Amino acid sequence: MSDPIALFLIFLKAAALGMGGYGSLPLLREDLLLTGLATDEQLIQSLAVGRFSTGPNGTYIVSLGYFAGGIGGAIAALVASCLPPLVMVPLVAVARGRLLSPGFAGFTRGVLLAISGLLLAFGLAILAPAGAAGLAWWHVILALAAMAVTVHGRLHPALLIGLGAAAGLLLGR
Amino acid sequence: MASVPLGELARAWIAVGTQSIGGASTTVYLMRLRLVERTGWLTRREFMESYSLSQLSPGIHLVALAGLIGHRLAGASGVAVSVAGMMVPAAIITVALSAVLSGIAGHPLTGAAFAGIGPVTAGMTAGLAVISARGTVRHGVRGALDLAVIAIAFMTFVGTAMSPALVIIACGLIGIVALRHERPETERSAETE
Repeated sequence: MSDPIALFLIFLKAAALGMGGYGSLPLLREDLLLTGLATDEQLIQSLAVGRFSTGPNGTYIVSLGYFAGGIGGAIAALVASCLPPLVMVPLVAVARGRLLSPGFAGFTRGVLLAISGLLLAFGLAILAPAGAAGLAWWHVILALAAMAVTVHGRLHPALLIGLGAAAGLLLGR
Repeated sequence: MASVPLGELARAWIAVGTQSIGGASTTVYLMRLRLVERTGWLTRREFMESYSLSQLSPGIHLVALAGLIGHRLAGASGVAVSVAGMMVPAAIITVALSAVLSGIAGHPLTGAAFAGIGPVTAGMTAGLAVISARGTVRHGVRGALDLAVIAIAFMTFVGTAMSPALVIIACGLIGIVALRHERPETERSAETE
């Protein structure tokens, strides 16, 4: 079981540097997976749980905290993921004009673009964590279909996960 | 305006936190329904203003939105009540689902199901990247510059051992210098929250 304080610091860093709930994913993968605190399977499980749960998309972070450190890990993840966004409250109060400046807009755009590229690469990484050798044809088709439905479709994310599970039960045994 | 009673505020946010299955779009819809349409605590303009500012925050944008609205409605106590009201019930539900999944994770059928869920999750993540980019990339020459930044971040993650944190900071600094012409249209990328 991981130290809740260490987990808190990892989740705090990810929330502070990422933008949006999923913006933290590449950072969390680096700090949790590559250091052995969680596995790729647990990361995928946490994303699936997040899709079935209520609240903002970022609740998968709480699930990942639970898988990495039990109830203490979940609490650490919850608190750490809530703190960085709240800097906006005093910032808006004292520096609203600066937040609307072209320089800050440029910084925000740069961060959002970086996160887009990182998320794309992250999707590829969790599709084939062990390289192309472990991929089956239906894995690729499922991933492409899920990507298309997410971009264009109106299918509920939980239903999409459910369809993926059904495909796995049919083809993955 | 007069401060909203904390008990009523908590009830509204708990409703948002427990009923919003489906992520950011559902959550924003319920926030607006509870805080604007039903109670009239906020005008539509006030809600959208807070929403726009929340898109500039680090981390989960909807936490920032809950904090900004809570502060507007009931000061510092309102921040705590709003964020806790939305996040704590959702976190409890998430932990319960995670515990159930942990209990069945070793079953062969669960393994088979996740053989399909894994690729779907990967595809959904890539789809979120496309949605995020679609709401941020501009048209014309500036758009080419935006796409170049996305490509640099992608290639750095795939082809080097550079930390994603450094990639994000570097691209933010590039943005200050080279991408500062207009504000990002983050409203269209709400799904990535």
